[in-house]
Amino acid sequence: MNAIGVLVRKEAGEVLMSGRGLTWLLALSGMLSVFTLLLVSNTELSLLDNAQVVYDMVGLVTALGALLALILGADSVAGERERGTLVPLLLTPLSRGQILAGKLGGLLIAWGVMYVLALPYLWAVGSTGQNMTDAMVVLAVLGTPVVLAFAFFGMGLGAVLGSLRSTLLTGLVVLILSASPLLLGPSLRQATVGRAFDAVNPFSGALNAYDAVIIDSQTLIAQAGHWLTILAWTGLALWFAVHGFKRVSR
Amino acid sequence: MRPFTATVLFVVLLATAAGSAQAGDVSVSLEPAPGNPSAPRMGDRLHFHSVIQNQGQQAVDGLIAWISLVQIDKGREQPMDLEDWSAHKAVTSASLAPGAKLDTDWPMRLIQAGHYRVVISAVSRNGVGLSASPFVDFEVLPKPVVESRRVLPVAFGVPLLVIGAMLWRRWS
Repeated sequence: MNAIGVLVRKEAGEVLMSGRGLTWLLALSGMLSVFTLLLVSNTELSLLDNAQVVYDMVGLVTALGALLALILGADSVAGERERGTLVPLLLTPLSRGQILAGKLGGLLIAWGVMYVLALPYLWAVGSTGQNMTDAMVVLAVLGTPVVLAFAFFGMGLGAVLGSLRSTLLTGLVVLILSASPLLLGPSLRQATVGRAFDAVNPFSGALNAYDAVIIDSQTLIAQAGHWLTILAWTGLALWFAVHGFKRVSR
Repeated sequence: MRPFTATVLFVVLLATAAGSAQAGDVSVSLEPAPGNPSAPRMGDRLHFHSVIQNQGQQAVDGLIAWISLVQIDKGREQPMDLEDWSAHKAVTSASLAPGAKLDTDWPMRLIQAGHYRVVISAVSRNGVGLSASPFVDFEVLPKPVVESRRVLPVAFGVPLLVIGAMLWRRWS
């Protein structure tokens, strides 16, 4: 196994096989379980509501994935620095790009496990409704770059700020702001400021694409505008992470 | 104005008015498609077929026909917003020649349980009234959308699996 593979395996193992990683997965499954159980008692759901439920769940999984990515991204630089393990890592033969790639690989595996964990819930609430398969596909295709964007952002922020606490606080504020369309009603988002925010916010891009595909039965290809917004932010966040990590001194 | 001129103008105006097809010249029929399920449930698709025919002597210009759906359950009478039911809500024709027919298929996805009545209405640019099809009534049977028999095993099973993984990790 090459050096990056070793690092990916180590990172993924820390996330998934450690006590804290499994606790995170338990918290995730618990949250999704509570969400689905709350729906069982609702006997007046129409098929549209069923699609709405799938949409809500896909949005929730994306938000949780972004939260996981932000924490892991912040921990991969700022956390390593505070634990005193960053310098030994930088002294390995791995280049900084390889270190970032290794940490990213671990995070992607963690997100993959989280995604797989969410699939039974999507099936449970969405198999009698419309576009369940499309929901699973759009979550993978557009949720992944959103999650990656927050991972890169966490890495870059950790490299720039240095302190894990500051990184997490700042990152969480940005995440809450970005994910606020999950909580805001459509009427608020129809205001000029809301529309402008939607146009530049990658999380809004993902949510609007979810809405179009799951509820309005549009194709994924037709969401090109949302793709562009998300990919642009992912690219920008990647540049921020690479640029920030280069500045980290031994 | 001379009486003769006024009479000619009146006759011309009358002839013009009579020449434009009125709403009564358009007939609208509506029937459910033969392949529709006999006991449709939520999530099923129904099709309705309408024929709009110009039965007048003049062309009907600017014809617009649209589908309307109302719920007729006692205490829940309401017009339905078709946005979620159908993407095909209206049909237009620039001009319908005398005797010509406009055949239209109206697909519909059944979103909510209840008793419904569907009707096609048509108006034309110069028409003075509305042409409406006969009603077609149908019932949509309920279908549980979030079923406890699917949700409960997942809601309890997945966390138990994770707990199992935690225990296996601790003891292995």
